[in-house]
Amino acid sequence: MRGMDIELKDVSIRFGDFTAVYPTNLKVNAGEFFSILGPSGCGKTTILRMVSGFSNPTSGEILIGGQSMAGIGPDKRPTALIFQSLALFPLMTVRENVAFGLEMRGMARGPRNDKAQELLDLVALGDQGEKIPDELSGGQRQRVAIARALAVEPAVLLLDEPLSALDLKLRQHMRSELRDIQRKTGVTFIYITHDQGEALTMSDRIAVMKAGVIEQVGTTDQVYNEPSTAFAATFVGANNMFKGKITKTSKGEAEIETKYGLLRGTNPQNLSTGSEAILFVRPEKTLVLSGKEKAENTIDVTYERRDLEGAFVNLHFQREDNKFTVHQTNVDLKSFDKGDQCTIGFDARAAMILPDGELADE
Amino acid sequence: MSNVSSSSFGRGSQIILNVYLVIFFAYMFLPLILMVAAGFNEFDTPSVTTWKGFTWKWFGVLAQDDRMWSGLVNSILIAVGVIIVSMPLGLAGAFLITRLQSRYNGLLYGIMVSPLLTPGIILGISTLIFWREGGVSGGLFTAAVAQATYISSYTMLMFMARLKRQDVTLEEAALDLGASHTQVFRRITMPFLKPTILTAAVIAFLQSFENYNTTIFAIGGSHTLVTEIGSRMRFGLSPAVNVIGIIFVFLTITFATIYVIFREREKKRVSALMG
Ligand SMILES: Nc1ncnc2c1ncn2[C@@H]1O[C@H](COP(=O)(O)OP(=O)(O)OP(=O)(O)O)[C@@H](O)[C@H]1O
Ligand SMILES: [Mg+2]
Repeated sequence: MRGMDIELKDVSIRFGDFTAVYPTNLKVNAGEFFSILGPSGCGKTTILRMVSGFSNPTSGEILIGGQSMAGIGPDKRPTALIFQSLALFPLMTVRENVAFGLEMRGMARGPRNDKAQELLDLVALGDQGEKIPDELSGGQRQRVAIARALAVEPAVLLLDEPLSALDLKLRQHMRSELRDIQRKTGVTFIYITHDQGEALTMSDRIAVMKAGVIEQVGTTDQVYNEPSTAFAATFVGANNMFKGKITKTSKGEAEIETKYGLLRGTNPQNLSTGSEAILFVRPEKTLVLSGKEKAENTIDVTYERRDLEGAFVNLHFQREDNKFTVHQTNVDLKSFDKGDQCTIGFDARAAMILPDGELADE
Repeated sequence: MSNVSSSSFGRGSQIILNVYLVIFFAYMFLPLILMVAAGFNEFDTPSVTTWKGFTWKWFGVLAQDDRMWSGLVNSILIAVGVIIVSMPLGLAGAFLITRLQSRYNGLLYGIMVSPLLTPGIILGISTLIFWREGGVSGGLFTAAVAQATYISSYTMLMFMARLKRQDVTLEEAALDLGASHTQVFRRITMPFLKPTILTAAVIAFLQSFENYNTTIFAIGGSHTLVTEIGSRMRFGLSPAVNVIGIIFVFLTITFATIYVIFREREKKRVSALMG
């Protein structure tokens, strides 16, 4: 395993009056696939630029492999960054691009071309070495950037939304490729994305970021099943939401007074009676209740439409201007007509009551 | 051509356009044609109205003219000196302004381009006075230094235009892959600047070669081809000067053709790159 761990100690950065990243503590383990997930402009790229040495933190310290990086330039750090814009060298061939880092280390032409060929084969571009970047497709360029970064055998690979320009098929393919490469090499990956699906499928752990602040760090399961803020809950995954005030608490659960009556849910943060809160329940934990079925919480709604996603189907309901979704497997589907009166429901254990706060807008 | 034009312009405007073109080209080229013709006239003041017969003899006269030859050599020496000074100076200035995001950028830019707005005479005189204080009298050196003050501004503007178009992340990517700053400059920045270096050198050479205002004041007792021609004006011209003109017209046409061919090929290459 050649990965190294990375530690941010109270790291913050300001540009003039604007604080792009507030003081942040973060530890990424050696050999981990770590994702930073957050909306555009929240400071993801800025964090990567500090780790790779292109910007200096205004305060705090960054450690890689236990060593402070203060005063160490990007050319001396054991990191390789895949830029959001890829930054392939336009005047060099694909092979020269991939071999560039080795050339800078003084490796002779023969061995470095062999190494470049090996990496081009790894990213399935073995026969494209003599082209120049502009002659490649978007996906191929992305793979060249990955090969070029891997060539210098970094201990930490920093990836800034490297798959964003690809179509869905290729993106899924590259996800598993990247995951494979990461497992094979044991390099620590810090992967930036604003695609929650991507973060969930690839990562060991995820940090959810909002406006210069890391809101939550956890395993993929933790972030999805136990989000710690309203923002994290809504940024990762879909929800049915009910806003209200807590009226009663008991043994890890609470009751919340909403527009549509009293609803019960878990109370992971032990909010006290009287707090403004939101109850979140995932669409796959929400049920459409027929006559016999029961649930602890029920809401009467009107059926609107459905979205068929192959194996799954999303049923959309409405009540006043609130929308609700039920996610079902495509087995034994009940069918409805637009305007049908239905009841949806969920058990208290399936729902989560979190403090009221800003939501991810979607 | 005329079909296309007459559909978008009226017939009347078509005529006006043609007349305009004729006048324009006459204005541009008639003096040149007369100059060339006078260079082949036997008559010993430049003229085409008094035609004494065709001759090559002024070419011979020019070839025998030592001051013209030494002027040509001086002009080339000065131009080479100007290139040597103004290329690195212009490049350094362009780097300072485009890469260092300092709040003094505006001021710096103002200072760097101010020689372009200063009358050439002033540049020449001030350079001469400055160096005379240091014990260096007017000559090729001071002429080159004086010219370089404003030609550096030209080269800087050209380098700036190019550097502004470069993606800074390319340099960062190279650094990230372990290149030192020197290596980044040599492998990333220089190849990107190469076409501009060539163009800037040619422009600097031409600017220097044709300069009169600055040179005449800074050059002291020496002379360039252009100052020599200028000083002979006082005693009336000889068709030998026309021959110089003929040679320059010939050289210009040759080099312009080569340049256009070169550029077309480059364009084809670039468009092939862009797909
Ligand atoms: N050099 C800089 N000077 C001033 N502001 C900057 C600078 N770099 C980044 N910022 C600001 O910091 C904030 C975070 O930028 P950053 O590039 O990290 O966003 P991001 O999370 O990567 O977004 P995206 O997903 O769109 O790439 C933005 O508001 C941006 O305008
Ligand atoms: Mg970014």
